[in-house]
Amino acid sequence: MRLYLRSRGLPGALAALLGTAAAAAWAAWWLVSLPDFDHTARLPVVVLGPLLAAGVIGTSLHTPSDELDRTAVRAWWPRRLAHLLAPTALAVGLLALAVPGHAEEFGAPAAVRNTLGLVGMAASAAPLVGARLSWLPPTFYAGVVYLAAPSGTEGGAAWWAWVTRPGPEGEAWAVAAVAFAAGTALYAWRGSRRTTGEA
Amino acid sequence: MNQPATVAVTGLTVRHRRTVALDALDLSLSPGVHGLLGPNGAGKTSLIRVLATVAAPSSGRVELLGGDVAGHRERTAIRRRLGYLPQEFGYYPGFTVREFVAYVAWLKEVPADRAAAAVERAVARVGLADRIDDRIKTLSGGMVRRAGIAQAIVNEPELLLLDEPTAGLDPEQRVDFRELLRELGTEATVVVSTHLVEDVAAACTDVALIEGGRLAFRGPTAELAALGGESAAPGDSTTNAIERGYTAALRTHRESAGAGAVRTKEALR
Repeated sequence: MRLYLRSRGLPGALAALLGTAAAAAWAAWWLVSLPDFDHTARLPVVVLGPLLAAGVIGTSLHTPSDELDRTAVRAWWPRRLAHLLAPTALAVGLLALAVPGHAEEFGAPAAVRNTLGLVGMAASAAPLVGARLSWLPPTFYAGVVYLAAPSGTEGGAAWWAWVTRPGPEGEAWAVAAVAFAAGTALYAWRGSRRTTGEA
Repeated sequence: MNQPATVAVTGLTVRHRRTVALDALDLSLSPGVHGLLGPNGAGKTSLIRVLATVAAPSSGRVELLGGDVAGHRERTAIRRRLGYLPQEFGYYPGFTVREFVAYVAWLKEVPADRAAAAVERAVARVGLADRIDDRIKTLSGGMVRRAGIAQAIVNEPELLLLDEPTAGLDPEQRVDFRELLRELGTEATVVVSTHLVEDVAAACTDVALIEGGRLAFRGPTAELAALGGESAAPGDSTTNAIERGYTAALRTHRESAGAGAVRTKEALR
């Protein structure tokens, strides 16, 4: 068990998660402390923090010994599920703590929602493009939305631009929840795409 | 040959996209060391992967150690008693030999109280005992291969599948390895896929030769050697009887299968 965790580079991933949360907390504090900004300026933190966390979790799904893992006696899906859920729970907790106060405007609820949604995207990317590249789709998506999203909800923005919504909209939560559920299910079922030979 | 078969394959077909890797193959194996010969791309690896329960067949029935691999519970029981060395196996670069073999022992559910001893025994059997706490990435290619063999035998499998186990081993190591094979073959069913006929001649009691996804020859090693006959022309570039037998069996198979193969390809279009 200990060896399994090490083989997936989880110590490194955990350190990266802690670092991300610390950086997000600092950035949130710093942005708010700037004279011209108030707590609404935490949008980049609420997007970037979860995005980094999703990238870390997504790439940690990589296995170096795929062919041997397939001969394992027990089914993999419970382990995959645990592997995805445990760090996600940790990331959710840490990032929620990183943006204290003002729950309505880019506070803890938005951080939690974005972490779940983006991890879900990374998890569904792992079976499709391989765990090593699983950070790409969420990054691409978050980048485009961050640049293109309107500040209001016109044109169904609460649906497609959920990562940039301030917090409590039900639509944004629904999309993030679906992304997380679908990603988790897909990864648990399929596992990462075979990338043996790429070393 | 009167022992019960540990491997029984009937009508096994494996397709990769549009190419047929194995074409309705029938094969049964009992304890002993079996050589699996064939040219590159003949389907050796596809067969080994199906037998290792790593890949699912497109159609056909595979029974291993008395259980059908299609059943979930039976497959679990089979995997506990199976050893597999893939052609290319990945490993976490930070692992030592001990950790790598212990990881596989954990995958195979070797009971925790016996695992440490099983790991040391497996590593000692492949002659890596003095390097057991070295990181795998610091080992030479032949040593990595031997670490791979160690992980395959850590659970003392009853069915051991080795895909190109001798690639990268030096001549002395290969001699030691054949010794180990013969020892393992007294109790277990060992399948060695290779294209080095010397390995087959020295270590295998019995040969299966596949070509184009079909069985071209099946029988004792001596029979394949006999097929080759005496060295013919002075320009003959084969060096021993097995090699001649191998080439002869392949040619016969190609001639007889030639017409059939064309028909199969037509049918697939």
